[in-house]
Amino acid sequence: MKASAGLFLLFLSLAQADTRPTLSQEERTNGAHILGGVQTTLPAARAAVGQIKDAKGKAVSTAVWVGSDGYFLTKASEVPELEKHRIHWAKDKSAAIREIQRLNAHDLVLAQAVGVSGVTPVKFEMSNTKTAYGQWLAAPVKGGSEIRIGVISAQPRKIQGFGAAMGIRMDEQPSRIPGVRITGLAEESPAAAAGLKAGDLITALDGKPASDMKQVSDLIKSYQPGDYIEVKFSREGKPRSARVRLASRMKIMQNWDGEDFANGGISLRTDNYARVIQHDLPLTPLDMGSPLFDLEGHALGINIARVDRVTTFALPASVFWKKIEPLIEADRHPPKAMKP
Amino acid sequence: MLHRVFISCRYLAAFVLVAGLSVGRAEISRAPLKELMSVQSDVQSLLTQVRPAVVAIRISDGTASGVIINAEGLILTAAHVAEKPGREVRVVLDDGKVVKGTTLGLDKTTDAAFIQLQEKEKVWPHVKLSRDVVKALPGTWCFALGHPGGFDKERGVVLRVGKIIRQTANSLQTDCVLMGGDSGGPLFNLKGEVIGIHSQIWEERDHNMHVSMAPFLRSWDEMKSSQVVRVWGTGSGGYLGAAIDVNAAGKVEVLEVLEGSPAQKAGLIAGDVVEALETQPVNSAAQFSNAVRARPAGDEIMLKVLRGAAARELRVKLASRPKEDEG
Repeated sequence: MKASAGLFLLFLSLAQADTRPTLSQEERTNGAHILGGVQTTLPAARAAVGQIKDAKGKAVSTAVWVGSDGYFLTKASEVPELEKHRIHWAKDKSAAIREIQRLNAHDLVLAQAVGVSGVTPVKFEMSNTKTAYGQWLAAPVKGGSEIRIGVISAQPRKIQGFGAAMGIRMDEQPSRIPGVRITGLAEESPAAAAGLKAGDLITALDGKPASDMKQVSDLIKSYQPGDYIEVKFSREGKPRSARVRLASRMKIMQNWDGEDFANGGISLRTDNYARVIQHDLPLTPLDMGSPLFDLEGHALGINIARVDRVTTFALPASVFWKKIEPLIEADRHPPKAMKP
Repeated sequence: MLHRVFISCRYLAAFVLVAGLSVGRAEISRAPLKELMSVQSDVQSLLTQVRPAVVAIRISDGTASGVIINAEGLILTAAHVAEKPGREVRVVLDDGKVVKGTTLGLDKTTDAAFIQLQEKEKVWPHVKLSRDVVKALPGTWCFALGHPGGFDKERGVVLRVGKIIRQTANSLQTDCVLMGGDSGGPLFNLKGEVIGIHSQIWEERDHNMHVSMAPFLRSWDEMKSSQVVRVWGTGSGGYLGAAIDVNAAGKVEVLEVLEGSPAQKAGLIAGDVVEALETQPVNSAAQFSNAVRARPAGDEIMLKVLRGAAARELRVKLASRPKEDEG
């Protein structure tokens, strides 16, 4: 693939002298002045979200309410073990989570906050939705305490999937002892995060013996980004194991040498979507799962992947809502989880 | 494999931005919503007009952006994209068609460069550039176009809308977020004129730097004739021929007027206090000299000066800097 001639730093002294005062934070595009005017028109946007937090209280994704009786959607690949987490909303409310169904094709999971009623669901717009270049959009961040704005920045389109990866280069030559040798790791890759090192010999993946490079590569590709995989390996002759959280192959290739400059990182899964709206809102991976609105307050879809410094993808409601509604109805009759 | 040629410089990320005016809560109203809607309709109508002039540039094994600014096919881009005169590049048009271009001159001190499309006889889609460099003021809405990560027909050119944050003698900073592959792409004002060329980023989201039109206008002839500008301040930028400094009262005062200079021809004399250049009040020596250099030679400017107690308006026709003056 081609390389990007990047933006680089120049060392200028005299030439960088300011000729005007710098614009304050408050006056910038996502500053207090503009946001103050937008927030008042979007009360529903801020009430529509909760935060999914792990047992340690660390936020992992954003949830959007889709039923007043506690039904919500969030980004599936960020929460492989959703029921181990809790959902937090308003100022001080939280509840346990019951997972209902994963829609892996759309990277969404439908779940219910146990014993919850009276939350404000989002009503997704199915028709009459304008999605033109340059149109302003808004999304709630930080559990609905703030709003961010941006514009539709590219053509809506399908995003091809390239499968999951753990960010390793492997020895093409068969090893003398059974297994596949790791020859290199990508910066901040899933494999590096799980403690794997160059020189380690992979012996098995989720219980399946590792025979050669292609077999290991094909096996990993069959998983979804965000999934966990159990890696058995040997280091200096000693057997070890690691639990690796897979990411999208595309994410790893783009950031092989680190320094993605994405501000807050990028999502584990960034591809394989039937259709996306691309926008330039300043969001982070933790904001994925939040609803996306136009400035008139119409809910257009769900933010699904933070891709790079300039790109966030959102799923338009037309892609997923027709599949979600019947799932909620089926789950309500009879009600399954009204006891805490 | 994608590989970005970002050169990170973390200490620069700690650069402290001086806060200017802040807006009190009482001023928050629905007015910003109206402002946003007006920006949206301007950007949407301009996008259709300017889009055909925005190109992706394939050079060696890298990809960058650029913008065509005349019918003969002259492209503005960044110097770190062109690197040197005489290189052959592939230029990808908005519809995906690939044509050939050649790098001309560049200004290495400010990151400005020209590329010439090889079929000169063709009438190329093009946009205007803004000659009013100093009017790109902080707080002004603008939009950035480019091909981050390379040309992608399904995706199309990538739009970002934001505000100018900072203006320096040769550059603009905006909150239009850029990344690798955007280099050389255009920043537009809401008249659809090019006001900047994407140049560099630092880690923070608002740290997106663009070369302003000043170096292009100043060194136009040199760069068009495939010269490499290595010293800042040289080139065909506006030349006045007067030494100035800030006086005891904090005003910009003329200390000396050179024999035969545009300043002398216009009647400027030592002791005059310069109050304004066109409609812009003059408040520092650096700002005044930058504003003069940002204009091309041949431009006529209006100077408001105070001679004793009498206010005068002088029309000065800027010339090129005399050759022996060049660094």
